[in-house]
Amino acid sequence: MSTTTGALKPREVPEIDARSRRLVTIWLATMLAAFVVMVILGITMRLNQGAAIKLMPNTFYALMTMHGLGMAGGLFTAGVVLIWYLTALRFQMNHTVMWVCYVLVLIGVVGVLAATLVGHFAAGWYALYPLPFVNAAWPSWTIGTTIVSLMILGVAWLVMQMDIMRVLAAGYGLKRMFGLEYYKGEPAEPLPPAVMITAVCATAGILGTVVGAATLIIYLFKWVTPATQFDPLLLKNTMFMFGHTIVNVAMYCGLGVMYQLMPAYTKRPWKVNRLLVISWNATLVFILFAYFHHLYMDFAQPKAIQILGQIASYGSALPATAVTIFGVGSQLYRSGIKWTLTPFAFMMSVVGWGIGGAAAVIDATIAVNRVFHNTLWVPAHFHTYFLVGFVLILFGFLHHHLNSRAERLAGTGFVTMLVGGYGFVLMFYLGGLSSVPRRYADYSAIPLPSVSQPGTHYALWGALFASLFLLGALVFFLSNGIGRRSPGEAAVAGAGARG
Amino acid sequence: MIQMAGYLTLAVALVILGVAAFVYARARQSVPNGNASVYRVRKYYAAALAVALLGALAWSLPHTPYGAYSSEEPAMRVEVIGRMWFWEFKPSDGSSADSLVIPLGKAVEFEVTAADVNHGFGIYDSEGHLVGQTQAMPGYTNRLRLKFDEPGHYSVLCMEYCGMVHHMMINGFTVR
Repeated sequence: MSTTTGALKPREVPEIDARSRRLVTIWLATMLAAFVVMVILGITMRLNQGAAIKLMPNTFYALMTMHGLGMAGGLFTAGVVLIWYLTALRFQMNHTVMWVCYVLVLIGVVGVLAATLVGHFAAGWYALYPLPFVNAAWPSWTIGTTIVSLMILGVAWLVMQMDIMRVLAAGYGLKRMFGLEYYKGEPAEPLPPAVMITAVCATAGILGTVVGAATLIIYLFKWVTPATQFDPLLLKNTMFMFGHTIVNVAMYCGLGVMYQLMPAYTKRPWKVNRLLVISWNATLVFILFAYFHHLYMDFAQPKAIQILGQIASYGSALPATAVTIFGVGSQLYRSGIKWTLTPFAFMMSVVGWGIGGAAAVIDATIAVNRVFHNTLWVPAHFHTYFLVGFVLILFGFLHHHLNSRAERLAGTGFVTMLVGGYGFVLMFYLGGLSSVPRRYADYSAIPLPSVSQPGTHYALWGALFASLFLLGALVFFLSNGIGRRSPGEAAVAGAGARG
Repeated sequence: MIQMAGYLTLAVALVILGVAAFVYARARQSVPNGNASVYRVRKYYAAALAVALLGALAWSLPHTPYGAYSSEEPAMRVEVIGRMWFWEFKPSDGSSADSLVIPLGKAVEFEVTAADVNHGFGIYDSEGHLVGQTQAMPGYTNRLRLKFDEPGHYSVLCMEYCGMVHHMMINGFTVR
């Protein structure tokens, strides 16, 4: 068993060892298998909203809860695995820690599956206090099981991120790993951008996870001692601080992989400079304060905090687009790249991130949120930067990681995913423009045909497009299963940072 | 406003897709330092985006719902209580809550709270446009002031997931 103690020296050439490679493969295969199941749950929900099938409301809302927990938790876990991979390229990692966390995640997932699919726990993935505990249609054991399962997942996330931070701090030092020395000028030894991004993501992820853990402890206390009362507004703040942070961090973890791998395809260096340091450290601050936009319609929240939420949400757009999206453009433009699936997936992921981000910034405008809050515009934008954003990075990374050679088949699957994915999110956007409320089991009770009819119509089309996305994803998985490059071919293929 | 947001998102999406197609097509060309022009464009882009965001802040902050019609004394106040799974209205003038009537063209204040869990008080006009909303939260009162310029029936839908019958938590009132 390898361990890392004391000051560490990073490898001169980033390279991943066989055991770490296998570990990453197993983690991502597990997360992507869970992703496929969650997509199927999502299609089922849209079919019910589209009146093509008929589920009981308790079944629908239990599926909705599982889908939300599975997607948010699963994709965040995948993001953490990606920054673990980035760290493992440079340092010998402790595999025992990751295997223990793998078992913890499996236990947590089984617990949540049992509570939702067996016990019909249906408080939604962010389970706003006090909904899980009041007049519930779900048995008490499902509440405790969900809370404890989420705590187990939280422990795994925290341990993984702390281990990454421990290794980076030992290898680079706290100040250097955030790139702070660039404020004084160009350092003698350059810092890889993926290291700085990993440090930023793990810091935000740890803070979000700790706040989530504190919230869950309060939930656990409430479950054990029902007479206890807590403040709903405070717990809404802490729950969104946790939830919003982890889903955003997932995307930023994916960008770290892009910063690491894209230069191997374009043969252009992607270096840290002062602008990049300012940008990513500002992003860390913006991530932590942007969650206030979830509470715009809570008028009891102080107005200054609401405005801070809008400023932080707007602020995050500047480094995201001017630095990272332009960075991808400058990597590719006239680089002489031989297009393969991985760089194409990376480029399309920032396209999805940009479009979803723009829709999110519009919704983060308080005056606009007044008519968009909790309509289908909300799932529209977060599905955009997840489904045709972060998930595309995962697929591109997987293609790279597995040394896949079936470019044509993978490309066919990928383009099918793009068509299905964009069609799917378009139906959400159109629903949002028709003021269709989100999280409705069906729309038949709404006494406004101009809302209920488009809601039903778009849901059905959304299910069909999501099915197309799923078909593309399965073709993509198949392509990775049937054609792999040998290590020698992979080296010739020129992926210098091949992991 | 909703239509404007839709067009703006569509425009941004088309620009991003167009730029991506352009970059994709030019990426095969191999030119040493061929990306220098990208960095030149970035300066202008960053400046334009900063100006646009500051402009959006300046335009939008006076239009938040928090201080709407704060200088006017409301013609009517309605206490709204969200419960699993119905809306209870208590008009301050003592009129019937079963067939609530709101005065046309005058400021009205909805004092919104909840008896059990979080709900979302969303008001739709007869054409299905969401005209205003606020959260209903136990222990807090959110004050939503609106002025209705169109007579007719308005529907109240729940905008925050609140359990099994969330999608059927519907009420309404008349404006005349």
